[in-house]
Amino acid sequence: MLIELKEAVRLINEGRTLHIAADDSLLKQLPKGKWIGGTTPYFIGEEGGIFTRDLLYVNEIDYAEEINVRVYGKYNIFQLVEECYDNGLAILIMPYGSEVAAKYAKEAPDVEELLMHPTLGWISGFDLETAGEARVYDGTTGTSYTDRAVVMYLKLPEGRTAMINMINIFEDDKTDPVIHFRENDLSVENCTVNGQEVNFAEYIRKKGIDTRMPLVADYNGSYFNISVKSIENGRVSFYAPVFKNVDYRFAVRVDDYAAEFMRRIGEAGARNPVISCNCILNYQYGELDGKRIPPYTGPVTFGEVAYQLLNQTLVYCEIVG
Amino acid sequence: MDPQVQEKVQKIFRGELKYTSTNLAFNMLITKSRKKVMADPGSMDTCLKELEEFLAKYPIVAKVDLANIAML
Repeated sequence: MLIELKEAVRLINEGRTLHIAADDSLLKQLPKGKWIGGTTPYFIGEEGGIFTRDLLYVNEIDYAEEINVRVYGKYNIFQLVEECYDNGLAILIMPYGSEVAAKYAKEAPDVEELLMHPTLGWISGFDLETAGEARVYDGTTGTSYTDRAVVMYLKLPEGRTAMINMINIFEDDKTDPVIHFRENDLSVENCTVNGQEVNFAEYIRKKGIDTRMPLVADYNGSYFNISVKSIENGRVSFYAPVFKNVDYRFAVRVDDYAAEFMRRIGEAGARNPVISCNCILNYQYGELDGKRIPPYTGPVTFGEVAYQLLNQTLVYCEIVG
Repeated sequence: MDPQVQEKVQKIFRGELKYTSTNLAFNMLITKSRKKVMADPGSMDTCLKELEEFLAKYPIVAKVDLANIAML
């Protein structure tokens, strides 16, 4: 729910456990308490998509038996798999452009046991018009960071399970050329297309590819997107890393992004997501400003985590059982 | 795991059978295991063990997906 500062302060002072997203000017005014937060001025509220520096998006976490908050840097971020509760959910927030986010993005898919521990998260950001600094907050100490990840571990009651899922409007066409990359990287110069080495930027230019359409990888029927961030001086940069030994194709062109997004929302059929986040590119290309997408409300983010970092995706968690 | 289901899971890992779950983590685990088994067929037992651990931890997933796999 989107609320005013004084209401957020009241909830914290009452001892509620909260996940909070807001502009930094509001987050820095919050008292210490059982909360974590990250910066963004974009949200999907009950009344629709909204840009605001005046309200905070707050999830109250009233379904956990215990919570624990930890802060990690790039050298210890994967302690996450050791420090989480056996039956729980980890909510992870990392600042956009930070080394810890890059490390997590590149290495998470290879971390043993990560899939055993439901992990949902997002990349904090800022106003795209004015830029700024992405931050995360550990509310238990009242400290903010631009170079650390904050994680809230939730212990769930026996018999209750956190189920993470996502909504993605993109798919590939299996007859399209397969693109391979040599390394796990956030920026590349070359790749192979159907086995032939090419300069990737040149390939995109020659084929006239609309880079609003991400690269997609088929993970057994679940499509993971990698969005193109920029093409400069013969290099292509991404919002999430590409991985070696993964088959990529450019997503099939979606002509009416907003309509397709709404259709997929309808199909997903989640009943009661306890937390969700949606990509800033969906917000922009899907023209979500002012549009309602119930039951999904939450921060609009610079990257989404469903175990690993994703792009152009809505990620959500339901507690089932 | 039932031996017949296990045989089908092995086929899924070898890319001989296709199965898509509605559970994201299960699909990610299948992809990861398939990649491992394709690169090193000797890793099959490790992958099966990992899958069994996953399903033991998430009986909700196990109930639905193992029944679906049995019907492949």
